Amino acid sequence: MEELILQLKQEIINVLNLEDVAPGDIADDAPLFGEGLGLDSIDALELIVLMEKLYGIKLKDPAQGREIFKSIRVMATYIHANRTK
Amino acid sequence: MPYAVKKYSHVTDKQASVNGKPFPVAAAESGQFLTALYRSLKVDYPKFFKMDALSKLGFLASELILMDEQPRFTPREDVAIICFNRSSSLDTDVAYQATIQHEESYYPSPSAFVYTLPNIVTGEIAIRNKFFGETSFYVCRERDAQQMSQTVEQAFCDKHTRMALAAWVECFEGTCEAFMELVERR
Repeated sequence: MEELILQLKQEIINVLNLEDVAPGDIADDAPLFGEGLGLDSIDALELIVLMEKLYGIKLKDPAQGREIFKSIRVMATYIHANRTK
Repeated sequence: MPYAVKKYSHVTDKQASVNGKPFPVAAAESGQFLTALYRSLKVDYPKFFKMDALSKLGFLASELILMDEQPRFTPREDVAIICFNRSSSLDTDVAYQATIQHEESYYPSPSAFVYTLPNIVTGEIAIRNKFFGETSFYVCRERDAQQMSQTVEQAFCDKHTRMALAAWVECFEGTCEAFMELVERR
């Protein structure tokens, strides 16, 4: 799980162009939206694409993202349980 | 002419200047000049990194002009933003197309898609500076100074516009050029 969390942080930094952020700056349990990384709605859509592209997880209802993208740890747990690749 | 040029900036993928005076930029890796310019301006605006090259270019040209203006970030309804170019947002259109080109890797990128309109540049500048005046972006066959000047003149036909950022902002296949003027009603 720790390896997946680290990989996820790196992928998020790359995909969302978080230029001045390092994996170590992202706390595992910090909120990704609002406070924390301060991601926006376009970032949320980009995370949905990332889930499908890298892990084969297709979120049918974008509203699911609200729960899944709560923090890196929640996201990693969901990926671990549902990934198809 | 109903307006006078107060200040101007020029940015390419290799150099930047304000009122004809070169703006010092720390050495940049190939293709990274705009990012180096952003860092040299000491601007804290993480959204910059999410922009496409065209928006980065317009954003930086406006920062060079506005960095010493006071007050900044005060909401204004009397500032217009008028941009022109030749290639629209074609660079980003192509990048977006690449994300949907192949059925086996069909992953449309939302962050690329939002920049598949050239007038996003004017929006980025307006949001950053809290300018609520008229914004427009014209895609022209050629860079025609007279046509551009007439279009900017028209922006001053209303009673509200006191100032405008008027620019040629062109970016295609790695070659970028922005020439922006801050103009004021006489």
